[in-house]
Amino acid sequence: MINRRHFLTTVAVGTASAAALAACGTGPSSSGETGSAEKPVTINYTWWGNDDRAERTRKAIALFESKNPDIKVNGNFTDFAGYWQKRATEAAGGGLPDVMQWDLSYLRDYGQRNQLLDLGTVKINTDAFDKSLLPSGQIKGKTYGIPTSTNAFAVYYDPAKLASLGVAEPDGSWTYKEFNDFLTEVGTKSNSALFGSTDYTGVWWMFNIWLRQNGIEAFTEDGKLGFTKDDMKKWWNTTAGLRGTPAIVSEERVTQLAPKSPFGSNVTATEVTWDNFMAGYLADSGAKELKLVPVPSDDKDNLGLFLKPSMLMVASAKTKYKDAAARFIDFMVNDPEVGQIFKTSRGVPASKTQRDGTTFEGTDKLVVDYEKSIEKYLKDAPQPPIVGFGTLEASFKRVSSDLNYGKLTIDGAADAWFKEAEDLIKQNA
Amino acid sequence: MTQSPTLSRRSTSSAPALRKSRQRGADARAGYTFLLPWLLGFIALTVGPMISSLYLSFTNYNLFDPPKWIGLDNYTTLFQDERFLQSVGVTVGYVVFGTPLKLAAALAVAMLLNSKRRGQGFYRSAFYAPSLIGASVSIAIVWKAMFGDNGPVDQGLSIFGINLGGWVGNPSMTMPMFILLTVWQFGAPMVIFLAGLKQIPNDLYEAASMDGAGPVRKFFNITWPMLSPVIFFNLLMETIHAFQIFASAYIISNGEGGPAGSTLFYTLYLYLRGFSDFRMGYASAMAWLLVIVVGIITLIFFRTSKSWVHYSGDAK
Repeated sequence: MINRRHFLTTVAVGTASAAALAACGTGPSSSGETGSAEKPVTINYTWWGNDDRAERTRKAIALFESKNPDIKVNGNFTDFAGYWQKRATEAAGGGLPDVMQWDLSYLRDYGQRNQLLDLGTVKINTDAFDKSLLPSGQIKGKTYGIPTSTNAFAVYYDPAKLASLGVAEPDGSWTYKEFNDFLTEVGTKSNSALFGSTDYTGVWWMFNIWLRQNGIEAFTEDGKLGFTKDDMKKWWNTTAGLRGTPAIVSEERVTQLAPKSPFGSNVTATEVTWDNFMAGYLADSGAKELKLVPVPSDDKDNLGLFLKPSMLMVASAKTKYKDAAARFIDFMVNDPEVGQIFKTSRGVPASKTQRDGTTFEGTDKLVVDYEKSIEKYLKDAPQPPIVGFGTLEASFKRVSSDLNYGKLTIDGAADAWFKEAEDLIKQNA
Repeated sequence: MTQSPTLSRRSTSSAPALRKSRQRGADARAGYTFLLPWLLGFIALTVGPMISSLYLSFTNYNLFDPPKWIGLDNYTTLFQDERFLQSVGVTVGYVVFGTPLKLAAALAVAMLLNSKRRGQGFYRSAFYAPSLIGASVSIAIVWKAMFGDNGPVDQGLSIFGINLGGWVGNPSMTMPMFILLTVWQFGAPMVIFLAGLKQIPNDLYEAASMDGAGPVRKFFNITWPMLSPVIFFNLLMETIHAFQIFASAYIISNGEGGPAGSTLFYTLYLYLRGFSDFRMGYASAMAWLLVIVVGIITLIFFRTSKSWVHYSGDAK
């Protein structure tokens, strides 16, 4: 039988000793808990990406651990879409990983809501960064994200495929009409065995660039929309004549090939997207060489291009290991050897020490050269967009896809997107 | 229930009332003690979240900031939300077509397996296996590959000259694909049907045979009425189950409900609203609406069941 008094004493002693033990431990100081070589602390790091990036990241982590024996890094990755749903669940439960790869689209959502650590309060060296790039990781004077690298929009093409079709390689100085004609030529000459491209009007950032080519900013200072429904309709009308023709791969195929892209699956000859996808596309498609040229523009002097932080490194506001997290971030953005591991697969390294310490050859050199070649057209990077931007970007993709399926007209698609956008802006006001 | 024979003996002894109540108290305490772990779990993990979700359904809650009370706004905006209506349409279509087909398949196979043949044990396991693994993530991935471009299904059909292409990317073929997936997982209701079939006395069939009844007549006059409580149970469970389809939809559509919203099931949209759009209040309202609708459907089932479900000992 359990004796009541004895039982209560045991409980009381147990509780007291647990409290005492806790008091003996190294309480969290301003720099967080620290480890030693014998007793390392473990921080969690998560990123999105494909197998190629996973392998590179594991190499970087191993290097970090060998140089910092007092810290262990527990790595974890998913694809982009699942990534944000997972983060939302963790944030709601108060358990975001210590360090995370981050995207500009979601920086405001989490930064403004106090989920991310103000990296200005820890030691991260940003001396080697281009001063015009750092503000894109800042909100209201606080630094929430450090860019790992930069990327810019480009048109990819596979020179071998074009050669086999007898289509001349583009030089990247093209209007939208010339670009569309090029896509049609590819599709027609290959007898639809190869499509020109995925419908580029379904890509938010391409729309954003087109707006900039026309002197419009997507969002106003006070978090409202800077463009009209008519702008949007005009944009979708750019490829209205191409949908359902060999110039553009059908949405059905795109869905079926997901999560691989049609370009990576050798179904299209070109793709309009970020220049740092090079490594992934090469791995997916098995192509020998892929080339990059600037996006089309009807204004030869204004390509609307900009360097965007392709990814940022952030830390959770609730991390117990601020110091370890900061050291890992610093290592990932500054260490020359990390640059050597990732090359341009995260984008062109943002820190000069990393850029200088990395040898770019072959296709990596193409990416770096591309960013150099568009230097004179570059404009300021966009600020972290409005709260809820991730949702708007996803809904833009969805509505465009419905448009390509013929489930929505251009007018209907614009109405649907604007309704959601206005509702979202109202929600977060 | 736990009243032991000792108790009934004691109740006839002297000072019965007091002893009885004491004993009862002790029994109850023991009972509640054993119940406690479950009760705590039930309150902390089921009742608590349900109450908080009911509260959240009247608020604007983005997971980060404190919830803002907005009354019935979430419920009223639901009905102006085209994607919500689409998700209702998709789910109702799935329940209405998927559930009866699944039950029909389950009953048909159960009847086949009910007769005594060689290797019945093997067939029973073989037919049950898909429903064991069916809800798992891996099956959804395999399913997606099977119905993809140039997948086995596409190639198999093209042998017969049917060229549908991949089903996964075709908005008008995704629903048939999901219905096939659920029909294929008929194992659980099949096992229950099988148990029910075993309960039907064989002499009823023998008597019917004597009277010259054919298999069809035997089915409708003996099997169906005798099995009706089991059919009712399966229908109810599978209907409720079908409303809650999530994992396979999430995986096959890459968590987006595409193509063109054709796999935007109710729970998937609920999840997207909550965790992609940070509209947890809205998602809570959707959850409660689902609870209410499933409740009403259950009620209707029970009400109408009186006319077709026969229990032994019924006056009918």
